[in-house]
Amino acid sequence: MKTLSLILGAGLLLSTFANAEANLPDRQTELPAHAKAASSEYLVPRDLATIPDSEFGNKVKLGYSLFVNSQPMRGQYVGNEQNCANCHMQAGMKANSAPLWGAFMAYPAYRKKNDKVNTYAERIQGCFKYSMNGVAPAVDSPELVALTAYSYWLAMGGLLDKYDMQSTPIPEMSDTVVQLGGKADSFVLPEKIAAALPVEQRNKLAGRGYPKLAKSAETPSIERGEIVYKQTCASCHGAEGQGLKQDGVQSFPPLWGKDSFNWGAGMHRVNTAAYFIYENMPLGKSIQLSNQEAWDVAAFMNSHERPQDPRFTGDLKANQEQYHNHQGYYGKSVNGKVLGEHAFPVKAVD
Amino acid sequence: MPIKNIFRSIIGLSALLLVQAPAFAATPPPAMVCESCHGTAGLGTPNLSPMLAGMDKDYLVEQINHFKNGNRKNPLMSAMAMTLATPEAVEQVATFFASLPAPVINDIEKRGDNVIITDPARKLVYQGDWSRNIPACATCHGPSGLGVAHFPRLASQHADYITSQLTAWQSKQRSGDHNNVMATIAQQLTASEIQHLAQYFAAIK
Repeated sequence: MKTLSLILGAGLLLSTFANAEANLPDRQTELPAHAKAASSEYLVPRDLATIPDSEFGNKVKLGYSLFVNSQPMRGQYVGNEQNCANCHMQAGMKANSAPLWGAFMAYPAYRKKNDKVNTYAERIQGCFKYSMNGVAPAVDSPELVALTAYSYWLAMGGLLDKYDMQSTPIPEMSDTVVQLGGKADSFVLPEKIAAALPVEQRNKLAGRGYPKLAKSAETPSIERGEIVYKQTCASCHGAEGQGLKQDGVQSFPPLWGKDSFNWGAGMHRVNTAAYFIYENMPLGKSIQLSNQEAWDVAAFMNSHERPQDPRFTGDLKANQEQYHNHQGYYGKSVNGKVLGEHAFPVKAVD
Repeated sequence: MPIKNIFRSIIGLSALLLVQAPAFAATPPPAMVCESCHGTAGLGTPNLSPMLAGMDKDYLVEQINHFKNGNRKNPLMSAMAMTLATPEAVEQVATFFASLPAPVINDIEKRGDNVIITDPARKLVYQGDWSRNIPACATCHGPSGLGVAHFPRLASQHADYITSQLTAWQSKQRSGDHNNVMATIAQQLTASEIQHLAQYFAAIK
């Protein structure tokens, strides 16, 4: 598990820092998975109503709004019908649902492979490129500033309260410092928190990522997963995985097809999807499926065509070998069709 | 088939449609019994019956069947639902009420449109309360509670009906929701939250 945490979404900093168009390297590496901690250990962000009425507060508010409804960025940065909150429940506050506070405190993160650092803002850029099948906003764009400010606000409020500083306002920091993430040496925490949470421990907050789910007794089966899907998931996500849309608003996210996350997104991995599904679905319930059912339905969901991996340069086999050495169906034959061969377009934006 | 006969068939079919067209607009016979409580416009009556106009057809079919199979318990409605003896009759009634216009909501509110929400009911609607695992109502019931497919519309529904239904979920007088999701959420609500939510949705007009 340590390795998984270490290789987390690393990438290039260097001259591409503010260049959203640059080909982001293998950022969307596996989300960390941890043994589930006792709920008392999780950070609990402050109530949204306490966001200050200030320039900083306005960034936080915009970040929240874009997080729960990402569609105002459609055509510019977002190329599908997803909202950030689809994969990060409770507006990115919920433990064991890849909470933003957990991710924020884990960046910048270093990648052993090339000894490069990925800032928190760059990690979010990866989400736009893969999960949102779009084009990453520049680091200094209002959107990315807002999303990082919101993440910081969630993390800092949760930390202050956990360490009995409920009456301490959330310190305002410069955009530059916030965008690096909470694991930077330059990120100053109140003394009491800094003492309890040294830099090297900050990426290990309880409830971060999705909790690891034990392997299933039997190899995940697409066929069994289809039965689970029809019984449990289809009423919200549609018989064809298209989700539910009404009055122009996509209320339930598509799980595959042209409007879903692409072949580079973390959720296309069967294990990541199984962890998420087991812990968070159905909405408002959590842990309804058996271990085996979660693995099977994750396999079924990810055995359908979706938008192409943005790193694809024309050679499916090469892309598969370079980026898909994990549990998934990219480049594999399912029902006589090789997945990725008929992928939908990437960057479906203007 | 000779051309002449084809023409004759088309003319015949058109005539048939012309004759039947007014019948589609009027209340279908099996729905007449519903109108005494739900009104000819399907808008319902406070303290008597819910608004059905504009509800999703599949939702209405499901609910009529729930009255028939006991998932929903209401002496009057159970008896009325039984009068719809065939699936076709159920379908016809549901289609009719679904086709009636519900009050139009002009300024719809989506999740994220507002961040600082002080009214506790409205906060539950748009932000939920995850300390109790309650998702924002708008996640399933749509912006301004307009409904999403078979997740019913709550906007401008009668407050007493919303109250009675949330209470029915709690007391297990109502079931049949997919994955038991609504029942689970309703269990978490306090009596005062139920009152306020009902008033909030009823006031969306």
